[in-house]
Amino acid sequence: MHIITTTVGSYPRPEWFREYLKRMEGLQKELDVEVDRDVLRKAVREVIDRQKKAGIELVTDGQLIWHDFLATIASRIDGFYVDGLVRYFDNNLYYRIPVIKERIRRRGQILYDFKIAYEIESNIKAVLSLFTVLKLSRNIYYKSFEDSLWDLCDVLKSEIAELIDLGVKYIQFDEPSLLYADEKELKILEDVYKELTNFEAETILMTYFRSAKSIFPYVLDFGFDVIGLDFVEGFDENLDVLREYGLENVNVGIVDGRNTKMEGIDELKMRFEKIADATELKKVYISPNTGLEFLPDVKAYEKMKLVSRFKKVIT
Amino acid sequence: MKTTVVGSYPKPKWLLRIIKMYKEGKIDEKTMDEAYKDAVRAVVKDHEIAGVDIIWDGEMRREEMTSYFAERINGFVIYGEVRVWGNNYYPKPAIVDELRYRDELAINDFKFLREITDREIKVPITGAYTIVDWSFNEYYSTKEEAVYALAEVLNREFRELVKAGAKYIQLDEPAIPTHPDEIEIAKNAVEIMVKGVRAYIGMHMCYGNYRSIFPEILDFKVDQLDFEFANRNFEDLKILKEYDFDKDLGFGCIDVHTRRIETVEEVKNAIRMALDVVEPKRLYVDPDCGLKLLPRDIAFEKLKVMVRAAREVKDEL
Repeated sequence: MHIITTTVGSYPRPEWFREYLKRMEGLQKELDVEVDRDVLRKAVREVIDRQKKAGIELVTDGQLIWHDFLATIASRIDGFYVDGLVRYFDNNLYYRIPVIKERIRRRGQILYDFKIAYEIESNIKAVLSLFTVLKLSRNIYYKSFEDSLWDLCDVLKSEIAELIDLGVKYIQFDEPSLLYADEKELKILEDVYKELTNFEAETILMTYFRSAKSIFPYVLDFGFDVIGLDFVEGFDENLDVLREYGLENVNVGIVDGRNTKMEGIDELKMRFEKIADATELKKVYISPNTGLEFLPDVKAYEKMKLVSRFKKVIT
Repeated sequence: MKTTVVGSYPKPKWLLRIIKMYKEGKIDEKTMDEAYKDAVRAVVKDHEIAGVDIIWDGEMRREEMTSYFAERINGFVIYGEVRVWGNNYYPKPAIVDELRYRDELAINDFKFLREITDREIKVPITGAYTIVDWSFNEYYSTKEEAVYALAEVLNREFRELVKAGAKYIQLDEPAIPTHPDEIEIAKNAVEIMVKGVRAYIGMHMCYGNYRSIFPEILDFKVDQLDFEFANRNFEDLKILKEYDFDKDLGFGCIDVHTRRIETVEEVKNAIRMALDVVEPKRLYVDPDCGLKLLPRDIAFEKLKVMVRAAREVKDEL
């Protein structure tokens, strides 16, 4: 069993960067001013360094200028316009809802901030999202949801191709909304994700906020190399999933990324033993169950340290 | 039919500067306290000139509505700020120990205000459900337990407030409509909070989908329910009609999210719509929410428009 520590995606902004964005962009809905690349680079470097210092082996860019969580991806694609504030899942967090008013088309590079991170650290995951982006949006253009899926798929496909050309080795799809998809949608998604996972990179599907039971067995045909499961919110059901489908490559989200309470190592160990007993694991990522920006920075850092301490205990 | 405010009012610019200097250690506590009092005097004067019937102190001492109280209650700590949306952050408290009453929360503010104005006073305090919902919970095994524990703490504060002379307390509970599935917990919490509290109780809610909390919200042990309506084009009045609304109504009719000052005529029309749902003596006319995010002159103008509209409608009755 090969164990690697990782983070899911978001990370609290460094305080000085937070203040900088407040100054540059203000507090109202008119955000997204062009952030000076050097300033952004400095902030991203800090967050990458912090992850490495805490013992995280496969890092992310921290999504430091993603004002709207995963919906941010929409704001970087033609066809979407941002509107009023809406609650982000069951969090006390709000995002500006993207409205699909025209056909979805590629505008330019989506993950321009990730590219900066990649220049700093090449052992890093690029994070995208397909289904969730559409589910977080309001559609007033497409007659069929399937058409919007395929158009967004095309946009993301060229984005991934560009990332691969750069040399990116890890592509992660964050899809919390997938856990609410119905059977019909899951069947369509089989073909869509196949297009997005058929690349010379490791593809990871990250799910969180609840158990992923409802997407099995369909998800097995999506083509992902690794499936990420939330073992904080959906422990028992996700354990069943491991047992029933014998997953080998799994991202185990085991530390609570949404609560400041620090888990005890023994408690984590006990949980992990159950996970390891449920299936023959080959490649395991261990991580918090969600991005870390739900926490204040000091606790986010402690949680990462906990993940890396935990790795030492189980290897 | 009376006019009132939800709570917060823009802080005078000079006060913001003094707070900054105080935080930098350049000003002593006594001077800071004097500045707060002077700011309250100024804000009260604004409210009096505007003609608002029931006022509060504009929350000059409160920076926001969760951590201000958490800092004064045993069992909470604050590790740092987290994001709410965009570039907006708040110091999110964490419950790390049993919640216990330590210090007064609004009694001194109430007493000071009582000294300087003859107007009726409303005391707004964030409710137990909302504070817990906006905090981390490291101590209690369930959210429900934490909510009830905090409700007990607030109940003690409310009783003390009544002893000090408060007659009107407002529970700010914007988190309730964002979790309709937990409405039973919120309802029980209100019962704990108001137990033995002999005062008029209002409950203010913004955010979320109001429809999702009806009809259950009508069973809450409060005298008045206060909602934002202007920000939603008054469409939610329909819900009240559908459910035979039988509480007093706090009627938010001034949009706090736009700098555009409403005309007297449009506010009058809104009030007439509200009178279609409740009779005049059960109507409390107020802005949608606290005014603190607006420039002070605009907040002041909006209050004046609101009061004029209410008076004119009253005269027509």
